[in-house]
Amino acid sequence: MAERPEDLNLPNAVITRIIKEALPDGVNVSKEARRAISQAASVFVLYATSCANNFAMKAKRKTLNAGDVMAAMEEMEFERFLQPLREALEAHKKGLKGKKEASEQKRKDKEKKTDTEEHDKSREEEDDEEHMDEEQEAENEAEEVEN
Amino acid sequence: MAAVVESDPDRCGSEEEGRGNDTEEENIQPPGPIVAPQNRLVKLPLSRIKALMKADPDVSLASQESVFIIAKATELFVEMIAKDALVYAQQGKRKTLQRKDLDNAIEAIDEFAFLEGTLD
Repeated sequence: MAERPEDLNLPNAVITRIIKEALPDGVNVSKEARRAISQAASVFVLYATSCANNFAMKAKRKTLNAGDVMAAMEEMEFERFLQPLREALEAHKKGLKGKKEASEQKRKDKEKKTDTEEHDKSREEEDDEEHMDEEQEAENEAEEVEN
Repeated sequence: MAAVVESDPDRCGSEEEGRGNDTEEENIQPPGPIVAPQNRLVKLPLSRIKALMKADPDVSLASQESVFIIAKATELFVEMIAKDALVYAQQGKRKTLQRKDLDNAIEAIDEFAFLEGTLD
């Protein structure tokens, strides 16, 4: 039942969506091009993993960590990815846990406001989804887990 | 032997960090927070990415963060290669990206050298 790396593909729908969002409207992508990009993405994962693992092994660690992947990106000449990856990682860490508590708190605060503001509630809530991350910094400080 | 814990592939944002260590831990999924689709950080399923990583015999364990970052990097890679290939389609006055545009991009761009000879 061993899966060869070549058999592990990434879901076509997701790959297609990422491609479409990257390209301007009106541009189409042939099936063959899509398949090739999907394959390339799998190869990318394998190559990045192997590269990152080298850094882990050099440091005599058995567990591949975020730092290893960042080092691999640099090695692979994808420095342009480093900044967005760092930001995504930060957002990822803040987003975990406590987000639900924060949104529940927000709702309770909202209920204290007068009824006349109810009309604006739904609009405000949308903004709050984004502000949530910043407000959580204080909450999550104690829970910060980093490599 | 690597411990493979499969989490719900569609809820990347709800995977929890390994507390205090980097090994793969049981993923405790908090009840789904209400997150608008555009707030989702990564679209590719982490479980599939993880499976690909484990295909490497030299890899024993990978932290959840590392899986996440590789997933995100892969998305950035897909965006990049699509855009770079598009240049060739446009040169050919086409609005449809074709396989040969990919091939041209791979040949021309240094960062894609690792792909040479790997695609069917």
